[in-house]
Amino acid sequence: MPATDQQASFLGRISIRRNQVISVDGNNDQELEDLELFQKHVADRFADLLSPPEEVASTEPLLSISWLRKLVDVFLCCEAEFKAVLIMCREHSQICKPPLDRLIPELMDRAVKALDICNAVSSGVDSVRQCQKFAEIAVSALEQKPMDDGQVKRARKALNSLLTAMTIDDKENRDFKGAERTRSFGRRGNTNSANKERAVGNFRSLSMIVAKNWSASKQIQAMSSNLVAPRGGEPTGLALPVYIMSSVMVFVMWALVAAMPCQERSGLATHFQIPRQLTWAHSMIGLQEKIGEEWKKKEKKGSVGLLEEMQKMEKLALSLIEFADGFQFPGDTEKMEEVASQVAELAEICGKMEEGLVPLQTQIREVFHRIVRSRAEILEVLEHAAKISQPTT
Amino acid sequence: MDQNPAHGFAGHEPDHAEEKNLVEASPVTELSLSQVLEDVDRFLERLSETKDKSNPPAVPNSVELFLKMAQEKIAYYDSNRFGHSKEEDLSFFECLIRISRLTSFSEFNSNPIMAVPLNRSSNVLHLSMSLLDGEFRTILESRIRNHNQNNSSDSKTPYASKQPSFGSHHQDNSDRGGVQPEAETTIGEEFPAYSKESICNMNKIATAMISLGYERECCMAYNMIRKTAFNSELDKLGFTNTSIEDVQRMQWETLEGEISAWIDVLKHCYSVLLPGELKLCNFVFSEYPSVSQRLFNDLASSITVMFLNFAEAVAMTKQSAEKLFKFLDMYETLRDMIPTIDSTTHSRDLKGETFTAKRLLGEAAVSIFCDLEDSIRRDHSRTPVPSGAVHPLTRYTMNYLKYACEYKNTLEQVFQQHQKMEEGNANAGKCNQPDAEITEGADEDGNPKTSPFSVQLKTIMDLLDENLEMKSKLYRDPALRYVFLMNNGRYILQKIKGSTEINDTMGAKWCRKRSTDLRQYHKGYTRETWSRLLQCLSHEGLQVNGKVVKPVLKERFKMFNSMFDEIHKTQSTWVVSDEQLQSELRVSVSAVVIPAYRSFLGRFQQYFSAGRQTEKYVKYQAEDIENLIEELFDGNSNSLARRRS
Repeated sequence: MPATDQQASFLGRISIRRNQVISVDGNNDQELEDLELFQKHVADRFADLLSPPEEVASTEPLLSISWLRKLVDVFLCCEAEFKAVLIMCREHSQICKPPLDRLIPELMDRAVKALDICNAVSSGVDSVRQCQKFAEIAVSALEQKPMDDGQVKRARKALNSLLTAMTIDDKENRDFKGAERTRSFGRRGNTNSANKERAVGNFRSLSMIVAKNWSASKQIQAMSSNLVAPRGGEPTGLALPVYIMSSVMVFVMWALVAAMPCQERSGLATHFQIPRQLTWAHSMIGLQEKIGEEWKKKEKKGSVGLLEEMQKMEKLALSLIEFADGFQFPGDTEKMEEVASQVAELAEICGKMEEGLVPLQTQIREVFHRIVRSRAEILEVLEHAAKISQPTT
Repeated sequence: MDQNPAHGFAGHEPDHAEEKNLVEASPVTELSLSQVLEDVDRFLERLSETKDKSNPPAVPNSVELFLKMAQEKIAYYDSNRFGHSKEEDLSFFECLIRISRLTSFSEFNSNPIMAVPLNRSSNVLHLSMSLLDGEFRTILESRIRNHNQNNSSDSKTPYASKQPSFGSHHQDNSDRGGVQPEAETTIGEEFPAYSKESICNMNKIATAMISLGYERECCMAYNMIRKTAFNSELDKLGFTNTSIEDVQRMQWETLEGEISAWIDVLKHCYSVLLPGELKLCNFVFSEYPSVSQRLFNDLASSITVMFLNFAEAVAMTKQSAEKLFKFLDMYETLRDMIPTIDSTTHSRDLKGETFTAKRLLGEAAVSIFCDLEDSIRRDHSRTPVPSGAVHPLTRYTMNYLKYACEYKNTLEQVFQQHQKMEEGNANAGKCNQPDAEITEGADEDGNPKTSPFSVQLKTIMDLLDENLEMKSKLYRDPALRYVFLMNNGRYILQKIKGSTEINDTMGAKWCRKRSTDLRQYHKGYTRETWSRLLQCLSHEGLQVNGKVVKPVLKERFKMFNSMFDEIHKTQSTWVVSDEQLQSELRVSVSAVVIPAYRSFLGRFQQYFSAGRQTEKYVKYQAEDIENLIEELFDGNSNSLARRRS
């Protein structure tokens, strides 16, 4: 009976650990120590994200692909540690008692919401990759020496598509079908709007819709609405680690949604509150403020997200389009040098995307699977604990 | 110059407006075009022979004329569709070849004589590509609007065009070979959304765009539009994305429907839509098999991932027994899909993701199946089933198992995988999995080979036995207890014999054992009920010194009658629903009672005086007893009522 084997072996491992703890000391010291260590690690990891060492900060700026990869790693580490704390807990019966009988299901609920967000963000990575392809066209066209009208126009067309793709706000993304059906194919006349619509439609079609009316910002809101820190003075037991993990989860999901193109994100900046007196939360709050401000600045413009590379790409694209519009063959040398450096910069960003996007997506997938597995394990513990506390015979 | 090239091919309009009439005068233009082309070809030849890149040969007037003509060609497509005139398309492609070759001599650019015509040709090349890009998109999208207008024109259009082939640039390219448009004759039927002509035109355009360095643009357009089209196809089929959260909240009845739709649409995707998509892709990009493969992989992946998301969401839902079969259906669908994914996409990622989703479903199935064990353990009902009938637990368990065993092969797989995973996971805690270690000797005859699933099935059967044994003790009447055990045992055996799959799993030996048990119960029942009755018919004590003691005889008859009445009254309310078992029981009872009664009657009836005395003590003739035995195990409470009244 393999399923119960799993349970047996799983719980067996716990009990082994439990026995060890008891044989060493027999009181709660070990648990308290674990919990403190957990808090310290969370604090350290987020401090590192907020203010990394000098040499790292330049190569991994806030909300860059490599920074996000680090963020996701932090989540995975915290999650692993949290599970250890939760599952190694000696008093499993407390899981079925207040306040955990409410907190754990809430955590599970958040986990499910996080899974949808993982899928949405993962499809956002696809959208970014699409932008990368547009940029690559521009780069390869503008790298041609000497530059000529044909190549400049080609680059301009690609950059234009890139910007159109970038400026679609999330709402348009949802109403995509209507726009597509009414699109005009007339080649004469309002070619401009037709072209724009076309690019818009194409971009939209690439990002997967999680579900009709699904909204990333609403999910984040729902995840954080019932997130309340355990009151000081009360014996918290497992309540505190559950709260910490929930905060980490909400924050990481929130940051990913802010960075990557994602379905419906209006009002994302109104973030959840973390009590300031908790030391582990300092850096997280710092990050939250930084990102929140960025978001408020960019939100009105309607953008694909705060991803550092995308922001840079947008600026470069605007500047290069300006250049293309004023380009007269053969082009003046001074200007060409400036353009060459911009093209090199754009190429570098494409390179970073090429390097980092697939691994980032893989990591997000890992987060997904980790959450699925942990959820199953915790539910199992819950079920087991429920059986013990309510014997049927 | 054009200030807004992003407008595409419309930007050239001012350049050609005044010469538009030339385009209309087709014969003259054709003639002069071919002359111009010859001239340009000669020039290109000279260029290629020139070693000193700073000193190009003089640029003939024909180049300027040619570029102008090429722009006129482009202008022609402002009011005409691509594919409308074979001649126009042909001469457009003829121009394109020269333009592309001219552009390739950009190393001469340092010389001002060459710089201007080179720049112009680059410009014309871009305009041409924008034109083709736009045409390509329009044709690709035309299926959405002109769904019913396909095959309207020349359906005999040959696919292999005699027109200049851009693919010839790549004759020696390693990209070539592999995928050939072998679908030529069937593509029309396989892809009703596009006419053969459209497909043929797309092939020409794609080949031109890729060979002239516009692969990215071409692929992006194709990828985006086909993906949109595919999604709207799925939409029409009724498959929409549902968030994981919504799936968790769905009522099972609703989710069940969604799962059935998922299975149907996914199967349709992998048997019809994606193969069609592959053929289309292979045809449009027939000159570039690796491009075609990449585009198809991309599409197949993005589509499949949506399906896998749903599968994972379903596997996460709260487990309950009724979900097992749908989960297994989904599992089988994914399992059967993997070879197709493997052969058509060669995408290891996609295969991996599919395996993962399949594994999650498999684990959920294992867990649900094992929950059956728990539900048997938890069944502690203290009230015996009236009349010793088949217990609902037996019915439920056996019917569930019978249904589950229709998925036996899949369950075997799922359990096998699960065990492998467990072994991988828990090498440290081996002592914690005692049950998996139980492998009954496969050597004994009649024992089938053990598998993780068969072990699980046996565990469940043993648990059911134990539970029934326990429940049987709730009956105070030992005879009824045996009837209960017989009923349930018989039911189990019949169900097992009725299902080849369970029968094979449990094995002949197990079934023989069960039959033996049943016979024991039967004997037990006979002993408990009828041995005591038969004591009344014993000759012992009836005769003293060879003389029949009448009062004792009277007492014996009275006792027999009342005991038999009592048995009849009680046991005709008992239930044996299995007809065969019922008749077996009656036959065996008759065989025990009738001969004994008949001989007793034959021997002692004579001692009663005929008439009242006989009537009083000999209540039943043997035939009456026989008839009454036939009323046993009927579950007939009426007979009880009737006899009471």
